Amino acid sequence: MAVTYDLVKSVTSRLYEASLKKIPEDTKQALQFAVARENNATARKTIQIMLESAAAAERHQHFVCSDSGIPVYFVQIGTRVLMEGDIKRAIADGFDELVRTIQPPLLQHVTNPLTLERGYKGKDMPIVTFDLVDGADYLDITCSPKALGSGRWAALEIFSFPTLDVIEKYIMEVVLRAGSQHCPPVVVGVGIGGTFDYAAKMAKEAMLRPFGKRHPEPIVAAMEERLLRAVNATGFGPMGTGGDTTAMAVHVNYASGHGFTPVAVCFNCWINRRTRARIFNSGKVEYSE
Amino acid sequence: MSATHHMQTPLSEDAVRRLAVGDMVYLNGEVVLAAGLPTHERMTEYLERGMPLPIDMQGAVLLHFGGYNREADGELDVLYMNPTTSTRFNTYMPRLIRTFGLRAIGGKGGLDEECARAMRESGCVYLSFPGGLCTLYSQAIREVVTVAWQDFILHYRLVKLRVAGLGPGTVAIDAQGNSLYDGLQARASSRLPQILGDLAEERGRRR
Repeated sequence: MAVTYDLVKSVTSRLYEASLKKIPEDTKQALQFAVARENNATARKTIQIMLESAAAAERHQHFVCSDSGIPVYFVQIGTRVLMEGDIKRAIADGFDELVRTIQPPLLQHVTNPLTLERGYKGKDMPIVTFDLVDGADYLDITCSPKALGSGRWAALEIFSFPTLDVIEKYIMEVVLRAGSQHCPPVVVGVGIGGTFDYAAKMAKEAMLRPFGKRHPEPIVAAMEERLLRAVNATGFGPMGTGGDTTAMAVHVNYASGHGFTPVAVCFNCWINRRTRARIFNSGKVEYSE
Repeated sequence: MSATHHMQTPLSEDAVRRLAVGDMVYLNGEVVLAAGLPTHERMTEYLERGMPLPIDMQGAVLLHFGGYNREADGELDVLYMNPTTSTRFNTYMPRLIRTFGLRAIGGKGGLDEECARAMRESGCVYLSFPGGLCTLYSQAIREVVTVAWQDFILHYRLVKLRVAGLGPGTVAIDAQGNSLYDGLQARASSRLPQILGDLAEERGRRR
C-alpha cells in the first residue's frame, strides 16, 4: 500500500474546507473559559457572539469568516512512507478541486504582489513546506489558510546576543503594534533563534500547536505563561473593544543559532484555523485539529 | 451600563447622538456596502468633481464589509459578507462623513482621531462588527437594492442592501468623540513599562 495522489488531493481539499467552517474544539473551550474569566461586559458579550457564530457556521456548513485566506500547508514526510504519483501536484490540485466544488464559493484572495491582480491561482501557490520524520510511515499535513487580518501583523527582527529582556520587549512591541487589528483573542506564535527563515517557520509551528501543550522545556513553558499574562495585561480585549482577553495562548519555539538572533512573532485570529491529517501507508487517514 | 438597540435606517441624528461607546446595535433597513480602496478612491473622486454618486449616501449607514457577490442574469446576489479593516480607509472617511452626513460606519479595527472628530461634528458613530461572524451577518441579508460601478470586480462595487437584524455592532466611537480604540492604544502603551517590569520580575523569580 502507499500514500496516493488521489488520497492526498482529497485530504488537502477536505482539510481546507474544514478549517473554514469549524473552529477547533480547544479554541471553543478557550473562548468559553475566557467568558467566565472576563471582567469586561462588552468583551463577554463579544466572545459569546463569537461562539454563537462558530456554532452557526458549523451547523449551516458556512464560513466562519469570508476571508478564506491563501492555501498554506506544512507537510511532514515519514521516511518509511511509500508515495505513489505526484504528491506535490496533488496538494495544488486539491486546492483547485476545492475552488471548483466548495459551497459557498471562495473569494479570490491569491494576489500577485507585483501587479496586485487577484485570482485563485498564483506563482508558488499553494505555499507548501516539507520536513522529514525519521522512521514514520505516514504523511502528516497541516493546513493553515492565512487571511489578511492576522497575516498582516507578523514581524521579525534580528538582534545581536539579545537578553531575554530584549526578546520579550520586542515581542510586546509587535503585540502593541498589532493592537486589535488581527481579530483578537489571538494565538501568538514566537520563534527565537536559528536563522531568518527558520525563526519565521518556528513561529508559525508554535502558533499551530494545540492548546494545553506547553513547551517541554520549563524555561520556555514559563516564558509562554508570563507572556500570555503580559499580552492580556495590554487590555485590547476581544476585537479591540477592551477586556482581559487579547490572547488565548502564547506559544514559543526556539533553536540554537549564532549570536545574531532572529525573533519572529505571528498571530492566528480568534477562529484559529488549523487542521491536520495523517495519511498512513495503509490508506488510513487520521484527522485532528 | 451598555444598552442594546434595534435600529431602523435611516438613522436620525438624535438617535445616533444618544448612543454611547459599549452599546450594541442591530440594524434594520437599507445600508451601503463599500469594501476596498478603489471604491473609496472613486467616491472621493466623484466628490471632487461635484458628481452625484450612483447611490444616494445622504445620512446613510456605510459598512466596510466585503463579501462574495454573485452576478447571474444581470442580477447581483450577495452570498455572504464580513467586515473588513476600516483603518485602511482613514484618509477618505472624514470627508465622506462630513459631506454625506453619514450616521454610522461599520467595520472592524476602528477609525482614527481625525475620523472621530468628523463623526462628533456630524453626528455619526462607528460600529465594531466582530470578524468571523460571516454566517450570522449573511443571514441578515434580505435584498440587494442597488449595485453600482459594474466595471469593478464584484466585491469592490458600491452595493445598497436591505438587512434585518444585522449585528451586533458595538458602538466603538460615539458622536461625543469617545473612542474605545484611542483609549485602549494609549492605555496599552502607558501600561507597557509596568508589563515589562512584571516580565523581568517573573524571570528573576525563576533564577
